[in-house]
Amino acid sequence: MDGIQTENLLNQLKHLESSLSSFSFESLNVSEAASLKSSFRAFSDLLEQKIQNPNSHVSVVGMAKNPKDEIIAVDSRVKETKFIAHISHEIRTPLNGIIGFTNLLREDNLNESQSKKVDAIHMASQNLMEIINEVLEYSKLTSGMEDFVSVNFNFRGLINDVIFLCQTLLMDRNIDLRLKIDEKIPGTLMGDPSKLSQILLNVLGNAIKFVEKGFIKLEVSLLDLGNDDCRLRFVVADSGIGMSAEQLEHVFDCFKQASSDIYPKYGGTGLGLCIVKELVERQGGEISAESQFGEGATFRFTIPYKKGSSKHIPKQSLNTIDRSKGKEMLGGTKILVFEDNTMNQHLIKEQLDKWGCKVYVTSNVDNGLGILRTQQIDLILMDLKMPGLNGFQISEIIRGDAYIEQVPIIAVSADYTATDEEKCIASGIDDFLLKPYTLDELLKKLLKAKNQTDLSKNSKDLLRKSIITGKASAAVDLLGVLEDCCGEISVLEELIRLFKQNVYEFIGTVKINLKQNNLKEIGFAAHKLKAGIKMLQLENLVNIMMDMQTNSEEGNEIKVRALFEDFLIRYPEYEKEIDTSLSILKTQKED
Amino acid sequence: MNVLLADDDDLLASLLGFRLKKGGYCVHHSSNGKEVKEYLKTNRPDIIVSDIMMPYFSGIELINYVRKDLSLDTPIIIISSAGNEENVLSAFELGANDFISKPFSPTELMVRLARELKKT
Repeated sequence: MDGIQTENLLNQLKHLESSLSSFSFESLNVSEAASLKSSFRAFSDLLEQKIQNPNSHVSVVGMAKNPKDEIIAVDSRVKETKFIAHISHEIRTPLNGIIGFTNLLREDNLNESQSKKVDAIHMASQNLMEIINEVLEYSKLTSGMEDFVSVNFNFRGLINDVIFLCQTLLMDRNIDLRLKIDEKIPGTLMGDPSKLSQILLNVLGNAIKFVEKGFIKLEVSLLDLGNDDCRLRFVVADSGIGMSAEQLEHVFDCFKQASSDIYPKYGGTGLGLCIVKELVERQGGEISAESQFGEGATFRFTIPYKKGSSKHIPKQSLNTIDRSKGKEMLGGTKILVFEDNTMNQHLIKEQLDKWGCKVYVTSNVDNGLGILRTQQIDLILMDLKMPGLNGFQISEIIRGDAYIEQVPIIAVSADYTATDEEKCIASGIDDFLLKPYTLDELLKKLLKAKNQTDLSKNSKDLLRKSIITGKASAAVDLLGVLEDCCGEISVLEELIRLFKQNVYEFIGTVKINLKQNNLKEIGFAAHKLKAGIKMLQLENLVNIMMDMQTNSEEGNEIKVRALFEDFLIRYPEYEKEIDTSLSILKTQKED
Repeated sequence: MNVLLADDDDLLASLLGFRLKKGGYCVHHSSNGKEVKEYLKTNRPDIIVSDIMMPYFSGIELINYVRKDLSLDTPIIIISSAGNEENVLSAFELGANDFISKPFSPTELMVRLARELKKT
């Protein structure tokens, strides 16, 4: 990795920046625009800091404490790798925000030129995210930090999942996706399944990019079969545009795309195949490519595996469930998904929707905790690799909260190692789902977790009722606010949506800062939320916020905790009242 | 008429933004002082409505910046929370034209805004 990498990243950033700045935020009234804008501000501030002031990374990467020692001790290549990895990590968070908000914006009624621009921003930020993920991946690989696991896995299941994903990518294109698997290949292999699916998705994904019509085929055959081990040969061939001899020579080099006009048309970093090569070779395999310009390309690689035993596949029971009954068994279940990858977010939501679940997806911890406290979630799917706090830390916070501690948490991750299992138990995670998973596996885990909740739920409901009926009921009158909105329901609705979002964020902020004993932040958060509560005239809650603010300023932690608990008990009633009141106003309006 | 609305409370800003636009004003909204400063480098709004508490750059600093650094007499209306009276006093000393205390009705702000603009 050399200077080209920094340059490439910077070029992509500029690309995004220019499409963002050509977008006029002022022309939008909707709140998403404001949020998008503030995400972008955070994003560009960060860039300014990190890139225009490259000295700042010296202390940030956290190597030697004395800068002089560091400069001498650390070879510049490693330094750049770490630097890139570091800024890439930090950029991901605001970038996630940009992607999320453009998604929301796209659902609004935009005019043609607005939606074109939003699409452009969306594309640019998605591309950038892809690049950053690849850069991170590559730096991890080359720095030797990437661990390869050796676990038993279902080989054909994995291949089917990969093919399924490719088919969704090919959806409306006239391309024939062919699959041929040698029957002699053992059903269970031992090795690193997530690395294999990564390799296959990369190589197949590459083919999908370059094939306009014709076919893509994947062939897997058994090369050698010993007593304990075997060697597989994978061939991915396509009828795409192919490569010239010169292009072929550099196909596995970093950042070398076949030609400079590839990027605008096909996107990508040029890192994909470079990562694939590294992954194959680190597992003791070999890779090669063959192609002629205009006549498609063929990639061949081999990987050695140990023969596995199906008994050791983690927690896979033998009886299968009829997947079509998913809806019957899961319908109405409220599921909160912590997931930061937008494609995964989309996929999981679509699947759970099909089973009739009510799905909340978030990549933001504060937001997630807020949803948990207010929406009576039945179970949580937790990706362990989240930006900021990771899945273990989030789970610990959830388990430390008397009100939501019983919600089952299913961890989702690509790495399943013994330490993870211990860590899962320690953090209060109930179950574990290994990526990539089949729909059957997902369904089974969900059903198991749901059965647990159903048992404890009845008693919890009783408890909840007894707490609430002891308090004064929540009275909500939205008429005044509606008047301020000149009688326009849609504006009122928007305000309420913003208000709820603020409450969720408030809850998350307070929880995290209570853990870190940072009362000052809590005081500030209470002050901020107070404004919205006043606007909606939620009298009792205003008092709680004022007390929280004063007690935070005075450092009275016990009182702050008690007030917060009180808020958490009362708020859901208010939210219900707000929703009822809003729907009454809406029907009156229609009449 | 161009209004610069500086407020980090997204709920209030959303409501005020709606009302101002409905009232025929062009609105530019900024949620922190840094953005406001940046905006004022190249733009000249007819009136500024600003919260007294904002991240990076308070309403007080904003008045100072507009009056001293930019030497502008653009009318400034300050939004304050109850219990912030001292700050309101210093806001007036530095050259704020009017203030309005939260919670307030958007209609009241519209009236005050129109009044300030009439004076100029």
